[in-house]
Formats: sequence, C-alpha cells, structure tokens
Amino acid sequence: MIADQYETRGIRRVLSELGGFAKNALGNFFSPEFLCLLIPLLLLWELLPRSGLVPESLLPRLSTVAAAFGDMLAHKNLVSHILYSMGRFFTAFGIAVALAVPIGLLMGWNQKIRAIFLPLWQLLSPIPPPAWVPMTIIFFGIGSRMHIFLMFIGIFYPVLFNTYQGIKDTDPRYLASARVFGASEFTLLRKVYFWHAFGSIVMSLKTGVAMGLVMLVIGEAYGGTMGIGYLLGQAKDYFLIPEMMVCMAVLGFIGWFLIEVLKYLEIKLAVWKVGR
Amino acid sequence: MIEARGISKFFSVVTGKGLAEGLTAVLNVSLTIEDGRIVSLLGPSGCGKSTFLEILAGLQAPTDGQIRIDGELVLEPLPSTRKEMEEYKRRYRFISPLANGVFTDRPKHDIAMIFQDYAVFPWMTAVQNVIFALNIRAADKKGPERPQRSEIRDKARFYLNKAGLAGMENKYPSQLSGGMRQRLALARALSVEPRIILMDEPFAAVDALQREKLQDDLLRLWGEAKAGGAPITIVMVSHDVQEAVFLSDEVIVFSPGPGGTIRNRVPVDAPRPRARTSPAIVDIRERILAILQYDINQESACAI
Repeated sequence: MIADQYETRGIRRVLSELGGFAKNALGNFFSPEFLCLLIPLLLLWELLPRSGLVPESLLPRLSTVAAAFGDMLAHKNLVSHILYSMGRFFTAFGIAVALAVPIGLLMGWNQKIRAIFLPLWQLLSPIPPPAWVPMTIIFFGIGSRMHIFLMFIGIFYPVLFNTYQGIKDTDPRYLASARVFGASEFTLLRKVYFWHAFGSIVMSLKTGVAMGLVMLVIGEAYGGTMGIGYLLGQAKDYFLIPEMMVCMAVLGFIGWFLIEVLKYLEIKLAVWKVGR
Repeated sequence: MIEARGISKFFSVVTGKGLAEGLTAVLNVSLTIEDGRIVSLLGPSGCGKSTFLEILAGLQAPTDGQIRIDGELVLEPLPSTRKEMEEYKRRYRFISPLANGVFTDRPKHDIAMIFQDYAVFPWMTAVQNVIFALNIRAADKKGPERPQRSEIRDKARFYLNKAGLAGMENKYPSQLSGGMRQRLALARALSVEPRIILMDEPFAAVDALQREKLQDDLLRLWGEAKAGGAPITIVMVSHDVQEAVFLSDEVIVFSPGPGGTIRNRVPVDAPRPRARTSPAIVDIRERILAILQYDINQESACAI
C-alpha cells in the first residue's frame, strides 16, 4: 500500500487517476520522436491522392475519411454500433476471464487437475477460432449468443494457457517459505501463486483483447444487424472505402485503448515492479 | 528438542546417456539438538547439508528415518516397496504431502525458515511480508486469543524495528539492499516467535561487512529471546567456518561429496559474548579447517 499521506479521496482521486492514465497512454503519441514520423505520414495520406499519384478511388484522402467519420456519427448511429459491439465484447471477455483464470490457477497448482484437464485444452485449442463459425451458427443461430461464443473461444485459450504457465513457474522457494509458516493451499493460491503469476495474467489479458477483436470482426461479418463488424461488411458490399477505413480506425482505437487500460491497471496493481 | 534418527535421502537422477542413476544426498544421519542452542551444519557444497535442513523443515520427505520435533513426527518417510508406494500415491492424490491443509492455515510445527536468497515476497512491502506470516499464525487461534488487526500491525512494526528496518516499512524488497532483505527475512521469522529457526546459508549472499553486522544482530536477538524466557533453537547451514564457529554452540561437520554423513561434532564452549579473534574461537576454527583440508586432500589423492 502507498503511505497514508499520499491518499486523496473522492472526485480529486478520480481526476488524478485519469490524468495519470492519459499521461501514460498518450505519452507515446506526443513524443517528438513519434511526431517526426506521424506528421509526414498523415501529410502523405492527404497529399498522395490529392496529387493523383495514387487513384483517389482506392486511397481516399485523410479529409474524406474524416468527413465519412463525421457522417457516420451523424447519420449511421456509429456510436450505438460501437456500444453494441462493446457490450457483447465485454460479456464474452468477462465470461472467458472468469472461467480461464480460475481453471488456469487450479491447473498450475495441482498435478492431478492438470492431468485431467490439460490434454483436453491441448486438443481443442489448436482449432483455429474462425473454424468454429459454422458450428456456432448452427447451434446458436445468428445473433448475440453466436457472437459472444465466438469471442469467448478467441479469448479463453490465450488467457488459460498464460495463466497456467505463470502459476506453474512459481518459484518453489516462495512456496517453501510460506509453507514453513503454515500457509494452507488456499492462502498459497491467493497470496503467492496469483501474485507471482500476475505479470503473465495481465499479458494473457492483452492477448485476449487482441484475439477477441479478431473474433468480433469475423463473427459480425457472418451475420447480424448491428456492430462494427456489420458496418464493415456493409461498407465492403457497397464498396465504400472511406467507411471501411473508419471502421478499421475505430477497431484499432478500441484495441489500443483496452490494452492501455490493462497496462495502467498493471502499473497500479504491480507497484513492486516499478523502478526495478 | 529436535531428534533425527537415521535420516537418509536418495534421489534418482538421469545421466547423460538417459539412464537412471541413484544419488545419495544424505546417508544415515542421526542427531539430537537440545532446546535453545545454535547448531551449525558445516561442509563443502554438495554434501547434503541443505537437503538435511529441508527434511528437518518438512519440505522434503526422507527416504528413510524419522525426524521428531518435541516427540512429534515431521514427515513420514517415503514408502520403500512398490505396494506401499501405490498406497502413498493414492493417499496424496489430490494434495501434496507437504501441504498444511486446503483452507485452514495451520503450521505443523513451530518453525520459521530463512533462505539464502531471502524468499521474501517481492509483491509485498516489508510490513506486509511480516503481517503475512503473522496472519497465518493468528488464523490458528480462536476467540479472544485471536489478535486484532491493529495488534498484528503493531507487532510487525515492532519486529521490523528490532531487526533494524525502522522507516522501511512501506518499501518493497526490490527497493532494499541485499543485507536489508535478509534483515526483513529475519524480522519475518522472528515475528512469529517460533521455537525453532532454520537457516539455509543465511548470510552467504551478503557482503562481508554486512555479514558481521547481521551475525551480531542475530546473536543479540537470540540472546534477547533467551532472556525473555522464550529460547529459540537455531539450526544453520553454512560453508563459512568462521561464521559457524562464531555463532554456534556446536558445529556439525559433514563429510564432503555425495552421500552426506556426519564426520565430526565439534562443541564450541567459549562463553558468550564472544570476540571473533578470541583464542578459543580461532583455535576451534583452525581445527575444523584442518579437518576439511584433510578431507579435500584425501579426496584428490583418491582421484589420482
């Protein structure tokens, strides 16, 4: 815990946390080094189509894409599509993490449980998640349940395997020293194994976010009436390149944002790793 | 009182050719350690003294023999026949024989242990490390005997101060120096007020100046506990002759090489407090060094 004198409460605490987050997340983008690359890239994006070196029908200008973004916000309910996708994404993410982390913990902790479950996951996990699509459509029909299940499949395995590996690699010295004091297995799991594996668990969540977004696009492209993947599919059908680009940018932003949130969480919870 | 009767430990190791080969780590060691004494297990690396200490702590089951602490068995020896082995495996199918229990914290014996590489948890601050140990011991107590959170916190601070870590309560181990980390391990071990502390080369990873300071502090704390009517037995593994002689009431010299057995038991009856350079200490140190030197020469003579 941080010493008491640094504690602030209420709205000020929230604001200072948000400030810290923004600083951590955006710091990379506003560094002079990166701006040296970003600004020329954006300029090229605007100028190449404008000068006619690249046909504008293939690569729309930055300003066209920005206008398409504004248009989608105003007339195509972009925000509600995003919220809809995110709602399903977080449902799937929550279910996957709530199952994968405890199962990973138990598998890393106990050999018997490992012997029972590990071969099952080893058989199932190599199936590429998109290969689940046809079966899922038959089982769940087209709709939220199918999308949630597909994202669940994408997120579950990376989280499970990384958690399990982190737990299994726990330094036996730490276990020995806790055991001599008389720690029960449950205390070991809560206070030793979990924290020792904390880094790999957060890492696994990051992989989970990436895989979940992949499955979000695949699932929604196969059917549905809402969501970013659906918008992307529609843009493809009508050959609207600026709208495709808006969807890609939105997905990229969501992935970046979620990973930044996880990074910030790690910094906040794993204070002991900072400054090492 | 710690009694070890006929402790042996065999491992099977896989050789380079993929064949299994037996390795004797400890061979038929019997030892009695009286309460309130400091005893060192001394010997070159690889002589099985650390393995013996882990068997004492109940972190490994001996292949043969029994360890009793105040008459109570620490860990049953491993079964020797195939049939017994199957039975043993069935019994410990779900939970390791080393486990203290699934949900309730309960020490098997009143022991604390200190490791060479500290083994303090890097994810807890100094004070949290001590509170962790205290909480485990407190979970055993019921009703009014069970200490309050604030009492535990105060006790943790008290022992951190005692070990010379005042003002470091909220530092993480990564922010502490090696010597400080070892002090933290010492504070954590002492805080549970154990009757026995086992140390596995506790000061080997600390620089020489820090080491002497730590040794003095250890003796001071041990003396305080003794004066307070709660004597602590310390069993320490060391390969530093000077350290072993200076600290201990008795030095147990292990024979070198695989298959550790007790070679000599050397009592150190110099009165405390001792000086490192006092003639009695120096004399005993020279004697033990001569024994070890002889063994090493014999070994190389055999090798030729």
